Amino acid sequence: MSSHLPDFLAESALSVANDANASVAHVRIAQHDNRGVSTRDGNVENIASDSATALSVRVVHNGAWGFAATNELTHEGAADAARRALEMARISSAVMNEPIELADEPNYGTASWVMPKEIDAMAVSDDDVVALLQDWNSRVAKSSVVNHVDAHVAMGRDTTFFADLNGNRLTQERDRISAQLTAIHIGEGGFDDMRTCAPPAGRGWEYLLGKGWDWDHELAALPDYLEEKVKAPSVEAGVWDLVIDPTNLWLTIHESIGHATELDRALGFEANYAGTSFATLEKLGNFKYGSPLVNVTGDRNSEFGLSTVAWDDEGVAAQQWDLIKDGTLVGYQTDRSIAAKVGLDRSNGCAFADSALHTPIQRMPNVSLQPGSVDRSTEDLIVGVERGIYIVGDKSWSIDMQRYNFQFTGQRFYEIKNGKIVGQLKDVVYQSRTPDFWGSLTDIGGPSTYLLGGALNCGKGQPGQVAPVSHGCPSAVFRNINVLNGRKEASA
Amino acid sequence: MSQIKMSEAVEIAMELVGKGVVIGEINNARNLRWANSALTTNGDTVDQSLSIAAFVDTPDGIASGISSGQVRNREDIAKLVEASKASAIAAGPAQDAMDLVTGPVHDNFHSEVIPPADEGIDFLSIQLGNVLPHGQFFGYAEQAQDTMLVATSAGTRMRFSQSTSRFELCAKSEDRERSAWSGQSGTTLSDVMVTSHADTVLRGLEHQKNRIDQEPGLHKVTLSPSAMADLMIYMLWSATAREAHEGRSVFSNPLGGTRIGEQLTQRKLTIATDPALRGLETVDHVVNLGSSSMSSSFDTGILTPRAEILRDGTLNALGSSRHAALEAKLPFTPLSDNIEVRDAQGSGSIDELAARMGDGLLITCLWYIREVDPQSLLLTGLTRDGVYVVKNGEIIGASNNFRFNESPVGMLSRISDAGDAVNCLPREWADWFSRARVAPVTVDQFNLSTRSDAV
Repeated sequence: MSSHLPDFLAESALSVANDANASVAHVRIAQHDNRGVSTRDGNVENIASDSATALSVRVVHNGAWGFAATNELTHEGAADAARRALEMARISSAVMNEPIELADEPNYGTASWVMPKEIDAMAVSDDDVVALLQDWNSRVAKSSVVNHVDAHVAMGRDTTFFADLNGNRLTQERDRISAQLTAIHIGEGGFDDMRTCAPPAGRGWEYLLGKGWDWDHELAALPDYLEEKVKAPSVEAGVWDLVIDPTNLWLTIHESIGHATELDRALGFEANYAGTSFATLEKLGNFKYGSPLVNVTGDRNSEFGLSTVAWDDEGVAAQQWDLIKDGTLVGYQTDRSIAAKVGLDRSNGCAFADSALHTPIQRMPNVSLQPGSVDRSTEDLIVGVERGIYIVGDKSWSIDMQRYNFQFTGQRFYEIKNGKIVGQLKDVVYQSRTPDFWGSLTDIGGPSTYLLGGALNCGKGQPGQVAPVSHGCPSAVFRNINVLNGRKEASA
Repeated sequence: MSQIKMSEAVEIAMELVGKGVVIGEINNARNLRWANSALTTNGDTVDQSLSIAAFVDTPDGIASGISSGQVRNREDIAKLVEASKASAIAAGPAQDAMDLVTGPVHDNFHSEVIPPADEGIDFLSIQLGNVLPHGQFFGYAEQAQDTMLVATSAGTRMRFSQSTSRFELCAKSEDRERSAWSGQSGTTLSDVMVTSHADTVLRGLEHQKNRIDQEPGLHKVTLSPSAMADLMIYMLWSATAREAHEGRSVFSNPLGGTRIGEQLTQRKLTIATDPALRGLETVDHVVNLGSSSMSSSFDTGILTPRAEILRDGTLNALGSSRHAALEAKLPFTPLSDNIEVRDAQGSGSIDELAARMGDGLLITCLWYIREVDPQSLLLTGLTRDGVYVVKNGEIIGASNNFRFNESPVGMLSRISDAGDAVNCLPREWADWFSRARVAPVTVDQFNLSTRSDAV
């Protein structure tokens, strides 16, 4: 985006909205740049890049939202989008319960923010990305247990400009990067795979060079992990104690706490699609979500967080707040209209749209389980388990539409006997009910076990939107969890 | 894109890239969303983009690279072409490189793309205004018009225009203890009768007043067309020749090769994609930008015929690109963007099927479907918005929800009855796959693994 164009386009749209007496008008211009490289057995399968820029106008007129967008970045295009947004508000105002109001937020004037990074990944050449993946491939493929290797790198940058009738002119830029490598074994007993556990991160290219993740160690160990898994005994279904590594637990947090504490879900706004939440508003301040060791925060300002910004897509400054305190539900995620609807003074800044072609909705901040005050290691936690399974890495996930019943798998499952790991198991599937699961947390790791996991593909809303989000957590122990045998479930 | 017509942009890109595939896309969409019986969000969007797959000759073969973006002038197009060529050179020879085939040249390729004048969403908002006050309703409607201009260096000039509509209505009881859903896909929202969908969901809520909880376990169930579609779509996405040939798929033969020719069910069940499926027509030639198990940009322009993955109960074909088909020594089988699941021995509506079931559970929707084990294609997910208890062929009440653990492949052999195939909206996959004509089926010993308290 050139430096003067956003202001010019914003004025074009805002003047139309202002002349029509819109009570609220937000203009967003967003440029999304993405790159991806994938290899298959060391051969490049795809190198692709895309860039999309669009302008949206969101108004409140006659008490109703109206939204329109275009990628015609001209005075006429911006003004037309404003007129179409007003028309959509007219349609909506005929079928509304109560007028839309927004919680107050200070005016930040003209300001900008750029996510810190050391090496601009978007500027790294395709040749260098391919060379990195082929190097990784060669390290893993030399093992006799590995028949195929799939690998990919994805990176993205969002450059956004927000303007409103209050004089805000906010520009920000954030990056993300992700890489995964999967080793596949095909043998007489079927096939199996093992994937790296490195999470996506709000970092630059330095991440893939080893800053923030020990790729060398993980790639060196991957064939051995896979070989042990192939030979591992199948798990005995039943009740087990689980020690869950942060590389797995982040996803359980995402599904069972992250989505469950979205206030728009609790109020029914997602009921037709993603669902609602068991954590309804009357439970705020009194519902025992988990054991007293469960302390969960929401934030939009964690270092390296995928949901980290300076302002959300309604111009609300980034914050951190409590969602669960000492096991009790104490907070939700909000945007400005949801906050006003329930009488909150201020939104905690969770409005997000994945492109200017989509209306901002309440999306997940970084939601993180805080480590224990005593710095206990994962090994310390394992020592306290007589019969259990230590679960590393995420894989399959599913949860119901009120965020009660969930079922997860993982990359590696280590059997624990009398406080010691004795070897891998396979076919492990753990299943529980959210309050029961978090209520069963009896031991928690310290700050040295804390890891920021996350995903690039959190889906919500209609039309569907995808958001990147991070979840930090330590290792933790959960008692008496239902474990299924995935292989036997298929032949039940 | 105001300064250049899309067909001109495609031609300029084709001229600059020399060898490859160029795709111009224009999308106009409007949507409405409602919750707690009031409209919430909405949108009116216009989007255009240009994508280029550059084919570059290298000493070791043809390389391919992809770049997409928005263009306003020749300079923007040149930048995209340059980026795609640079990516191709970095990629090196493409494993799936093959000669492009000359596809059709459509007369209207250069004609103006005129935004649709469909008034469906306005009509719908009036209907919603009449219906929403009479219950607790939630839902979504969208109307999209997509135009795609496809050019290749082999001379192909194809233009496809496709209208897609989707309507969903969910109703909940005041206490939020009961929930029902109805959906419809098509080409225009003007066809949607909101009162008809409202009658369906309110009838569902009435049935649910008599709660008869059921224990998890192996149950005889009747799956609605929407629920069956969601399972079969996942199976279709997994039915790839390459992975089956390599031994890393549920469709791999443990003794080598694939399971093509194996009878997976005694039923005369056929699962197909067919671009000419009446009322659910879709793009009838291959249009691809990247490479994957099932696709290759080098196949762009080739006719996509009807493909029957399962024919009368026997695994008949697996999806592939030309290159993947050669590697697997199987016929080239491109798949199109729709699905038909029909049973030649089946008959009647879902109500008649449930009546024939005698005793069992009638499942209306599945949700949050994810793969647990690729070896068996074990999937997990939830039942949603109505699990009805059927006794002596009559719906007598509704059960709690369940988490299921089932393989859509293993399940085929336990289908004991089926109804007529009907158009339906797949609840889980509608964002990506909305063109479905699927028969409801009755399945014995369906694995409803654990109880879900969700409504």
